[in-house]
Amino acid sequence: MGHLAIKNLSKVYGDPDATGNVVALRDVSFEVPNHQFCAILGHSGCGKTTLLNIAAGFEPPTSGSIAVDGVPIRVPGWQNTMIFQDYALFPWMDVSQNIGFGLEMKSLPTHKRHDFTRHYIDLVGLAGFENKFPHQLSGGMRQRVAIARALAVQPHLLLMDEPFAALDAQNRSFMQDELVRIWQREPKTVVLVTHSIDEAIKLSDCIAVMTRRPGRVKQFISVDLPRPRDEDDKSYLKLKRHLRALIHEEVGNQRP
Amino acid sequence: MASRPAGMRKSRLLAFLPNLTLLLLLILAWQFASTVWLPSIDPHMAVLMPAPTTIARTAAGLVLSGELLFHLVASLKREASAFVVAATAIPLGVAMGWWRLVYNQVNPIMEILRPIPPLAWIPLSILWFGIGDVQNEFIIFLGMFFPILINTIVGVKNVDPNLVRAARSLGAPEHKVLSRIVLKGSLPQIITGVRIGLGVGWMALVAAELVGANSGLGFLINDARSMLRTDTIVVGMLTIGLVGLLIDSAIRVLGRKFLPWSLALSK
Repeated sequence: MGHLAIKNLSKVYGDPDATGNVVALRDVSFEVPNHQFCAILGHSGCGKTTLLNIAAGFEPPTSGSIAVDGVPIRVPGWQNTMIFQDYALFPWMDVSQNIGFGLEMKSLPTHKRHDFTRHYIDLVGLAGFENKFPHQLSGGMRQRVAIARALAVQPHLLLMDEPFAALDAQNRSFMQDELVRIWQREPKTVVLVTHSIDEAIKLSDCIAVMTRRPGRVKQFISVDLPRPRDEDDKSYLKLKRHLRALIHEEVGNQRP
Repeated sequence: MASRPAGMRKSRLLAFLPNLTLLLLLILAWQFASTVWLPSIDPHMAVLMPAPTTIARTAAGLVLSGELLFHLVASLKREASAFVVAATAIPLGVAMGWWRLVYNQVNPIMEILRPIPPLAWIPLSILWFGIGDVQNEFIIFLGMFFPILINTIVGVKNVDPNLVRAARSLGAPEHKVLSRIVLKGSLPQIITGVRIGLGVGWMALVAAELVGANSGLGFLINDARSMLRTDTIVVGMLTIGLVGLLIDSAIRVLGRKFLPWSLALSK
């Protein structure tokens, strides 16, 4: 459950036939097989967040199709849930209420909801913090709550919008390892947006490198390095050089 | 452990006391002016400026006779009944903040009515309702309604859009988004609106009672004027100020107690 297929997807802001409109995405096509982790890598303004918003059902595409297991994505819902860069935790709910919110929306019976909440609190390592409110938690812990909250609803597709951008370097690296650990325990189809080459290589099975606006897939790369990924490994460094070259080309393209 | 907060409170109180020096000096000067200076110029003028000691004596008398409490309760009852009606500004504000269509239709009406001071409604309201509680409450209601409405609209519009998206993304249907996220997220601002509304209403109340009532603090001070009881007037004025402050503080404390997560209210 969770094969993502994106076909000839385009997004134009404003009247598509008028001048002065903005083409955010043009003819994007790729697929992410079930339970694979895919990174969308690109500079800011390449339309990667637009792509994620369409996948989450927040915006409709202008043309083309996007579907999970053949079911088109049209509206937001637990099937294609999103983890936000600023975590978007509900400030008036404590950790377990935040994690339980989606389960409550799914009308899960109370005892089942408690079991699920308990399970995900343990999985992300938040035991002992059940009754803390978001403002009492550190950035890394808030991110754990956001991950647990999203996983708890059992999404077919998990979307992440630069989830570690707000963390300091040390915490970011640690949370990336944590995400891989959690994802290996509970495999999901994940699409993660990032502008960090290292983050993309460290986490993903496949990387879609985007061009400058209008965003297209410049290259779709499969990553079959063994996990955990070693940053000093030869093939890791080779892939990193390759990605850096692709990204730099895009910076060059932008200059008049 | 338990004695520490109490001890801290005590020391904070002690640290605050020096701030009252100027106030104390002014009261002493007032006392001197009322009992020595003014009578030496013109004995009749002393009546216009009752001494603090006279005011204290009058206050004690009004409290003991129950008269002050009677008028205070009458005023509070009007404030409370008007608030019950003015609270309709909360659902209206939520609807205006959430649905653009409602906002576009209702806002022009509100923009015409809002700049009219509540007191400007007094003549018309007397003709509509006669002199009495309903007329008074109508004026108070007008004072309360718009601050509550505007703060509710702002509160709803300022709810972090990512929280709304997160809720939808976790499968929340629209009515749950409205009740669990939008309403909850705008509560701090709604409470601020209620605070301001109760304050404006309290001011409008006194004005309304000056004109059209035979009970209440506004009536008390206006009635005292006709008998030249300046001491009673000042006691009434002080009571109005003190109770206004108490209402405001009570809402603040309640807000902080029930919405501990709100950074805006904890300031």
